[in-house]
Amino acid sequence: MSNISKAIEKVDSEEKMAGKAKYINDISYNDMLFAMTLRASESKAKIIKITYPKIPKGYTIVDYNDIPGKNFVKIIYEDMPIFAKKEINYYGEPILLVVGEDKAIISDIINNIHVTYKVQTPSYELKNSVIYYEFEKGKAKEIFKNAKKIIHFDYSTGYQEHVYIEPQGLIGLYEPDKITIIGSMQCPYYIKNAVMQALNSGEKGVRVKQATTGGAFGGKEEFPSLIACQIAVAVLKIKKPIKLIYDREEDMEFTTKRHPSNIKLQAAIGINNEIQAIKAYVALDSGAYIGLSGVVLQRAMIASSGVYTIDNIEVAGDVYETNTVPNGAFRGFGAPQMMFAIEMFINHIASELKLDPFTLRNKYLAKQGDITSTGGKFRDVIIMDEMIKKVMKMSDYKKKYLKYSKKDNYKGIGMSWFLHGCGFTGSGEQKHIKALVKLRKEKNNFVTILVASVDMGQGIQTTLRKIVANILQIPVKKVIYNNPDTDLVPDSGPTVASRTIMIVGGLVAQAAKLLKEQWIDGKEITIAKRYKQPKHIKWDEENLRGDAYPAYSWGVNVVEVVVNPITYQVELIGIWEVYDVGKAIDERIVLGQAEGGVLQGISYGMLEVMKNVNGRIQQKNITDYIIPTSCDSVNIETVFIDNPYLLGPYGAKGAGELTLIGGAPAVALAIENAINRRVTKIPVTPEYIMELIDYGEN
Amino acid sequence: MAKIKFTLNGKEINITIDPTARLLDILRDQYGLVGVKEGCGEGECGACAVLINEVIINSCIVPMGTINNKSIVTIEGFSETKRYEVIRKAFEDEGAVQCGFCTPGMIIASESLLNNNPHPTEEEIRIGLSGNLCRCTGYNMIVKAVKTASKRGEGLW
Amino acid sequence: MVNSYIPKTYKEALNLLAQNELLIIAGGTDLMVKFKSISGLLPKFKKDMLFISHLAELDFIKKEKNSIHIGANVTLEKVLNSKHTHYLLKKALLIMASPAIRNMGTVGGNIVNASPAGDTLPVLYVLNTKIVVESLDNKRIIPIEDFIVGPSKTILKENELVKEIIIEDKSFDYMVFEKIGTRQADAISKISFAAVTNIKNSNISDFRVSFGAVGPRIVREKELEKKVIGVTIDELNGMCNLICDNYSKFITPIDDQRSSAIYRKKVALNLLEEYIKSIK
Repeated sequence: MSNISKAIEKVDSEEKMAGKAKYINDISYNDMLFAMTLRASESKAKIIKITYPKIPKGYTIVDYNDIPGKNFVKIIYEDMPIFAKKEINYYGEPILLVVGEDKAIISDIINNIHVTYKVQTPSYELKNSVIYYEFEKGKAKEIFKNAKKIIHFDYSTGYQEHVYIEPQGLIGLYEPDKITIIGSMQCPYYIKNAVMQALNSGEKGVRVKQATTGGAFGGKEEFPSLIACQIAVAVLKIKKPIKLIYDREEDMEFTTKRHPSNIKLQAAIGINNEIQAIKAYVALDSGAYIGLSGVVLQRAMIASSGVYTIDNIEVAGDVYETNTVPNGAFRGFGAPQMMFAIEMFINHIASELKLDPFTLRNKYLAKQGDITSTGGKFRDVIIMDEMIKKVMKMSDYKKKYLKYSKKDNYKGIGMSWFLHGCGFTGSGEQKHIKALVKLRKEKNNFVTILVASVDMGQGIQTTLRKIVANILQIPVKKVIYNNPDTDLVPDSGPTVASRTIMIVGGLVAQAAKLLKEQWIDGKEITIAKRYKQPKHIKWDEENLRGDAYPAYSWGVNVVEVVVNPITYQVELIGIWEVYDVGKAIDERIVLGQAEGGVLQGISYGMLEVMKNVNGRIQQKNITDYIIPTSCDSVNIETVFIDNPYLLGPYGAKGAGELTLIGGAPAVALAIENAINRRVTKIPVTPEYIMELIDYGEN
Repeated sequence: MAKIKFTLNGKEINITIDPTARLLDILRDQYGLVGVKEGCGEGECGACAVLINEVIINSCIVPMGTINNKSIVTIEGFSETKRYEVIRKAFEDEGAVQCGFCTPGMIIASESLLNNNPHPTEEEIRIGLSGNLCRCTGYNMIVKAVKTASKRGEGLW
Repeated sequence: MVNSYIPKTYKEALNLLAQNELLIIAGGTDLMVKFKSISGLLPKFKKDMLFISHLAELDFIKKEKNSIHIGANVTLEKVLNSKHTHYLLKKALLIMASPAIRNMGTVGGNIVNASPAGDTLPVLYVLNTKIVVESLDNKRIIPIEDFIVGPSKTILKENELVKEIIIEDKSFDYMVFEKIGTRQADAISKISFAAVTNIKNSNISDFRVSFGAVGPRIVREKELEKKVIGVTIDELNGMCNLICDNYSKFITPIDDQRSSAIYRKKVALNLLEEYIKSIK
């Protein structure tokens, strides 16, 4: 195996195809009970009283009284309860579980529990800020004070629902000194830590195992911690296996989504039509609890100059609490919102100044050695020039752009440029995660990878094995990598933030190299490797200054559309994408990330509508919340250009999130080009296009 | 309750059952055929697809009362066939599998399509798969896999 | 738990209907969703059920002199693939739901479900479809616009069953079906539109238009259609704004989770305008 990028057979696809892979709902135990959730029917209220029907033998109510530890889900802040005690902060907030053998009886009990509320006034507006950050690069404030010309646009983005095809679900198991949680998840140790806090137990009292996971996209990052705590408490009380699986509607109404955002962008323009400074303000709606919203806000703010180097930047942002379902992690994590806004803005600046947008963008495109928005440095080679040339050639961008700009032919082409920081923001890896990986060479010379990273479809069962096999020069079949089990694997961190290949894979590669040096046939050898931040990376967490990420992956997307002037519907004509992910560990697997990611990004930009009215999600099922079908997809041409990153395994950087980020701005710019009107919000639905054609500005 | 007779993956079954029960629940809970997945419960996602009399149907909205004297084939049964081998290999080679939750349904959809139309155009493939939602792949690798299977499976369909 | 009846013959089904208050279920694609319960539990049907999808007497497609007869149990996919099926109906079926739904859903079910967003309905309206209903002692043939009286409401009596539908088999000089869905496939209509026109010696001899999902019922206004019969093509084009104005008051859509009333109305009228302009 000389070329690491050459595709090999994906190790888990055969059992998945034959229907033999066991997802959580496919697993059962003797004596297993089912749990269902009683949820609040108000958005903001105090619980006055709960009256119960007669509870038959074998059926149990589990609520906050049963929690031995803290009634908070351990995420970052202690604000979200496991079960509501007195306060209700959003419609659908979990109050208790009903557990028993027969779902019909459980459902009947739930329907006959009566909760009396003292209803309070809910807030659905972005008014109550719970987190505020700001930072400045250069002298932006001063420049804005004296600016002669300021260009200002407001942008907004909507919810996005993950719609992993497998809904959320977990099973809890009882042993006298241990509670085990098995389920669909991204972060076994997040769950373990959350359950330990809920049960007030030690390390050994909680075990978490991943079951084959049917898609996640961030939706199974922090959310499963909530239901794991609930189930763990129930198992501790009832001492039997308990299964909790969400139906699709429950999943869509009451689990986390991508944060809706409002973004205000201003540019101070100098006398030679140069961009002197940019001012960005981001407002995120966190829903009823903060969860990861602060970190999402940081990532959005850091992305505020996109791929451009602007010497003076002023950035501020708020996380607002509202009485709505909490929002959370979603592939891209704040970047898709900001990258949409800044890509539109740079084009809108060009149109205001009557400049060619391509020339303007090129002028500010970041180069190696440039200073980032947070005052860090782009240390590595940036090959965006080559990537842009490539994608323009593939898509015939220039010719089409000129042609479509002139005529009222309702055809359009749009190009987005974007980047994504790989790994946790700032010193997160070093300070908070401290990833530890192990490799164990067995006596039979098989090698076991011991990490907590999960395969949720993105293929790391294959790619991590491949890295180890390639370094050790052994067949992939001799590398063992089971679904993680916290009793057996160290905490290599969560499966998030485009960190798995670059950070975890990097550690695995280092461990494999050490193992190769120490290899003795027939002997068991264990190698451990802990993450150490490269010395040159410095980050000030308080002030958001320094190197926000150790490395960046880059992308260019082109989307071509035709808009129907009678129905305002958008038809995709073609998608072209070029990426720098360092080095693709397996071309076919990374291609899968690229094609799936770009379509998810494009549909975020034009198709996926979710609205919350008076605290209620309106699109509660996949008949009403629209994701693309095979007929909505078109041919996609994808190219990866190698640009190896010194500290990544074989030069690899992150790829999972990057591929989603450029889709929305590319399709929005294409629609803008087609209808000759300014687009300032996503999704760009036919309803919005009608409005723009009738009343919009060009 | 009613007596219902059908064949399941080639075996004859006679059961007494509530005719309003969902076929999906019976397949998973009574026969342990958990390759048939539940993604939405309302006939929209196709994860629960099975072949009934050789055509694709979403088992989550099929009441047992409608399957009398019919032949049901699930992924477990279909995976024993030569046609499955061709589709499996094509899915593998084109990278059509990511999280895998939609995959058994996609394979059933591919079989239903190819059985009816052994040489589908790209558009016909897209229409044939249009009731099966996938959130991972963006579909094109699956569409290519069906094309590849159609080519390689010359004479099988 | 409700009782279920699985009759052996059509006659037996009519007998059961004469004696019991039953909910008739054919393919189940609408009812199983409408009465959906929690996964693993029985659907929440409120009435005893009559299963009919296996009745062979209702599974036929026949061509007669000026009409096509389709049995109520024929699946949508079979109608789509039949050589007798009208071009316009095929067009509607091809983009309706998904293959798995078309394999199960039936013509009879689609009509009795009477959804204003039902994809086949605008086509069936412009093709002057008639519904044949039968009870043990009676048979009625009812024009579709009289049969459907509101969302999920028809004049089918407790003891009656839809036996077949009769569709006019006529070709037209200008035919169009447009579905404005939420996406390219497997979508629910935001608006649907069907129209047919015939020209005789440069005059409009037949003109029919219908809209779906723009109000509680499918819109087909025969009085408005009559106004253009006999006019020349040029006159028709000249009347375009007037015709759209006339239809405007019958197009009364709502805001919902899939679209807005403003959009639906505007696009419905755009489609009508575009159609009229296409007649040259």
